[in-house]
Amino acid sequence: MAYRVLITDDSPAMRSFVRRVIQLSGFELSHCFEAGDGEEALDLLRREWVDAILTDINMPGVDGEELLRRLAADEMLRSVPAIVISTDATENRISRLLSLGARGYVTKPFRPETLRAELERILGVPVD
Amino acid sequence: MTDTSIHLALRESVVEVLEKMFFVEAITDLAPEIAAQSPAVLVALQFDGNPPGVFRMSLARSAAALIAADFLGEDPESLTVPQVEEVAKELANMICGAVLSRIESRVTFRLAAPELVTQDAISGTVCTVETGSGMLTAGIDMETRTCSTTARSAS
Repeated sequence: MAYRVLITDDSPAMRSFVRRVIQLSGFELSHCFEAGDGEEALDLLRREWVDAILTDINMPGVDGEELLRRLAADEMLRSVPAIVISTDATENRISRLLSLGARGYVTKPFRPETLRAELERILGVPVD
Repeated sequence: MTDTSIHLALRESVVEVLEKMFFVEAITDLAPEIAAQSPAVLVALQFDGNPPGVFRMSLARSAAALIAADFLGEDPESLTVPQVEEVAKELANMICGAVLSRIESRVTFRLAAPELVTQDAISGTVCTVETGSGMLTAGIDMETRTCSTTARSAS
């Protein structure tokens, strides 16, 4: 089965890198959407179904924390699992983001296999 | 935390970020004095937290172009200057976040957006590495800490 993933990050370079890393990792990707902030992500999610969201925290406008709050408050979208990708590996931040509804947390820098494993974990992909 | 442990955290972070995200094996433990005088991309990044401070990075333009090409999976010749600079800002952001997470794993900090600067002194605790295509110098200056007095002008 191939999956549809949304990458939300204000940096086009980072979005491009994450997309490439997912592809290189061997994760089965059927479509990769991109959004530059939380607002754009929410707009896209109302039009397109995705299996998982990968989001940065620090973004102008609707940031990653607010995106998670809005997803949790939206009956249609709350079931879409989100993984936070961030440079911030502090315990407080990770706890807060998980309590806001993030299903996973990947700290930059990361290896491709780490991101793939986290995606497969939240999607319940059986281990080979 | 001592200056030595901050330096260790800085060095580990530079090496780890370059290796995992940019596929570069850095040569470490270079004296700051030998940092390249060649044209460089300069990035500064303020952070709030306990303590607040500023992170600065100087990356030789030759290295910045190759690192950006690897990061984006593109041919170096096809990249624009803004693309190279954006990747340099991402690199600075990741190194800074990695250092702060090592130094203050229980304290939440907030990073401002990285900014390109034209001239800035890299001060505080400083680490210089060779990337294989040019030098990278990173420095972290925390307001309430007694940092080493190493300082030099980056241009």
